[in-house]
Amino acid sequence: MAPYLIKRIAGLAAVLLVMSFIVFCLQSIIPADPARSLVGPSAPQETVERLREEMGLNDPLLVQYGHFVSRLVEGDLGTSIRTRQPIAEDVLRYGPATLELILAAMVLGTALAFILAFAQATLARSGAIRVGMLTLGSVPIFLTALLLAYFLWFKLGWFPGSGRIDIRRFSGPTGFFVLDGLLLGRPEVTLGALRHLFLPALALSVPIAISVGRSLSSALVDVMRQPYIRTARGKGLSAGHIFLRHGLRNAASAPLAMLGLQVGLMFGNLLIVERVFAWPGLGLYTVQSFATSDLPAILGVALVFGAFYILVTMLVEIAQSLADPRIAL
Amino acid sequence: MLSIRGLHVRLSRDGRANTVLDGVDLDLAPGEVVALVGESGSGKSTIGLALQGLLPAESQPEISGSIRLSKHEIVGAKAGELRQVRRDLIRSVPQDPMGALNPTMSIGRQMAETGLSPAEVLDWLGRVGLPDPRRIAADMPHRLSGGQRQRVLIAMSMAAKPRVLVADEPTTALDVTVQAQILTLLTDLAREQGTAILFITHDLAVAAELSNRVMVLFGGRVAELGETRAVVKAPAHPYAAGLLSARFDLSSDRGRQLSTLSTERGRTRIEGPHCNYVARCPISTPECSQRRPDLALREDGRRAACFNSDKVPDLLSSARAAPAWPEAIGGNANALELFRIHKSFAGRRKGLFGAKARTRVLSGVDLRIGLGECVALVGESGSGKSTLLRIAAGLVEQDEGDVSWFGGIPPQVVFQDAVAALTPWLTVGEQIGDRLRPLNVSKAEQQRRVAEALELVGIDPALSGALPAELSGGQCQRVTVARAVVVPPKLLLCDEPISAMDVSLAAQTLNLLGTLRRQMGMGMLFVTHDLAAARLIADRIAVLEKGQLVEIGEPDQIISDPQAPYTRTLVSAVPRLVTEEASA
Repeated sequence: MAPYLIKRIAGLAAVLLVMSFIVFCLQSIIPADPARSLVGPSAPQETVERLREEMGLNDPLLVQYGHFVSRLVEGDLGTSIRTRQPIAEDVLRYGPATLELILAAMVLGTALAFILAFAQATLARSGAIRVGMLTLGSVPIFLTALLLAYFLWFKLGWFPGSGRIDIRRFSGPTGFFVLDGLLLGRPEVTLGALRHLFLPALALSVPIAISVGRSLSSALVDVMRQPYIRTARGKGLSAGHIFLRHGLRNAASAPLAMLGLQVGLMFGNLLIVERVFAWPGLGLYTVQSFATSDLPAILGVALVFGAFYILVTMLVEIAQSLADPRIAL
Repeated sequence: MLSIRGLHVRLSRDGRANTVLDGVDLDLAPGEVVALVGESGSGKSTIGLALQGLLPAESQPEISGSIRLSKHEIVGAKAGELRQVRRDLIRSVPQDPMGALNPTMSIGRQMAETGLSPAEVLDWLGRVGLPDPRRIAADMPHRLSGGQRQRVLIAMSMAAKPRVLVADEPTTALDVTVQAQILTLLTDLAREQGTAILFITHDLAVAAELSNRVMVLFGGRVAELGETRAVVKAPAHPYAAGLLSARFDLSSDRGRQLSTLSTERGRTRIEGPHCNYVARCPISTPECSQRRPDLALREDGRRAACFNSDKVPDLLSSARAAPAWPEAIGGNANALELFRIHKSFAGRRKGLFGAKARTRVLSGVDLRIGLGECVALVGESGSGKSTLLRIAAGLVEQDEGDVSWFGGIPPQVVFQDAVAALTPWLTVGEQIGDRLRPLNVSKAEQQRRVAEALELVGIDPALSGALPAELSGGQCQRVTVARAVVVPPKLLLCDEPISAMDVSLAAQTLNLLGTLRRQMGMGMLFVTHDLAAARLIADRIAVLEKGQLVEIGEPDQIISDPQAPYTRTLVSAVPRLVTEEASA
């Protein structure tokens, strides 16, 4: 395990370095002048020139990249043009909301995936379920999100459709409101946070549920045909015991990989869902940065999500090796 | 104790229901060992599954008849009752131990699942001869060898003290050298606990060694049932006689071909009011196609389903006069020359920065095969024999050493799994014809040569338009041979071509290969783990152990006076038909 972790962390650093280089190149190639956008279009050219000198924008590219990386190492992602705050601080402010949403979507998606897989394995009309899954899977996420918001919030009013919580200016020690409510002994916070989480998490969980559900059900079909399942049946074990103890764990590897892939690729969907539900997270932050061509902020968030993706992949590999002892890390 | 009456089973495959068992009766007494013998597709495994109520649901089994064990009626039993029967009364030992243990659960937990205490688990692991039970119990299945896993599975089954044990070819997937130990272990434990064994096998010699009675199955019907010794000595059904005459061991006559009584199998028609062996039977009469023979009780207490069983002894003696091998053409040149072949494979890296461990597979192997000569390469799994064959074929690059072929012509290879070696969507004729394409022959010439090749291997040239799926496994193997020889090669490499076959098919294939290499003057390398087959097919036997040739020489010399310890184990592992002179 230890050599695996060392290897992976070294890999993480290498990937981040490559990403930082790409991000840096993008920053340098794009014609927008950060100094000009910082001081505004009406400022005199001398001010811009002075600022360029101060920001090191006139240095050779390699030197600039060196500065860029050394700042990154210190946790400095640059300054946002729109909020005029260090991007790292913005990420820390909006990150917990997004992480909470991702976790909720993962839990919901996995639960739905199980239900779909079981339904397909046990119900007689599994063909109908497959058609239903296909239809649901073909609906683009902005439509799912809008339909959920329209019916469950606007029409029926069952769930809140915007923001994280109804309490104004709430802030907790961790930034995860569901957790903060419990830590502060205020169950109404947790409950409110959960109600707000439901719709955006549901919208995000649909693609997870469908892809993980399909991979789980095909893995289960395959596993339940293996000779060791016949051995288990030959021992007179009950069907439920065989399914839980012998089937599920052996079928875990492919759905785990699929879950990791889906979570890692959730970023695009986050932009849409956070925008639709006015969720104050990194997705919404990025959308707003787009609107104001806040390139440093967009690239900073992209770096953070790149690191997140690698981390998720690593966790998936660890989970796979825990499920199957033949996979050695 | 166990009583099967009129068991009929129909199973669906690809939407078509087929009769797999057609009226099987059998009684099993406590502690008795009954062997179930038949070729693949005879329904022998289906009996074992039906006993446990484990017929696969996806083939929509239709079962009628009765299987009674103690107070339980297994046919049509409720799921709960079936589970109880499986847990307490009927256990099984599978054919392939590699897949039969859950790879993600420790051995100990899998043993304890049906209520064994940890102490009992350790006790049983010890009783089946596993060293260090404590370590094995904590281990995961993939860390054990095939033989060890089969011991675990035997412990798992016998610990329940079942009344009946279904052993479905429990040793075919194991190395020859451990087969005998596993069989002894199984029968000893059964004797101690009074467990009856239903022993499923296709080898009459193994049946003869272990069983009290034998039931010969053909096409879902019982062909013959009786005391094993009597059946092996003088079979009363032509199919049993065919099985018996086709089997070979270390005393078979090397000078002539093997006798094969029955003709090439096609699709056997099972249902209907006729003897279902009629299409293959050499002594059939018109009556056989009009009426189904009963399993008649004979004076000697045996039962046989044949109208003409008095003709079977003549059949057996005529079988002894099989044709001699043709004269080998050849010459002094070498078809294959391997010179100091070394090969090792990279393993896992040790630690974070350590070098990758390399496993030596072959170290300094020298081998020459002359034109028209056959060398059999024997060795246990992991000895490197398949790697050597692949290097000889040019499929794997050797690390060191030289490979040279006669005239630089690349060899042809015949693989173990013939069905997998054929492309499923190309017709047989197209696949054979593919090899003629570089020669730029005309279409008509190509067809003529394909037909010639098919005829050479004993397949009706009319089948050249058939897809592999429409042929039997034996026919597929012949097609791969035809593909190999349609452009006559100077060297034919065979990788265990008969190890998945039952005796009659194996005999036919050995005859075919033995004839072809002599007629065409091909050198042949025949990789096998079956010493009896090696002795029959080859002019010389080479023994490979841990990547080195430890012995090479005349077959009978090697077998009568084996030098290397491994060769000695191999010789003693070949099952022999123990019977008083059967020819009479």
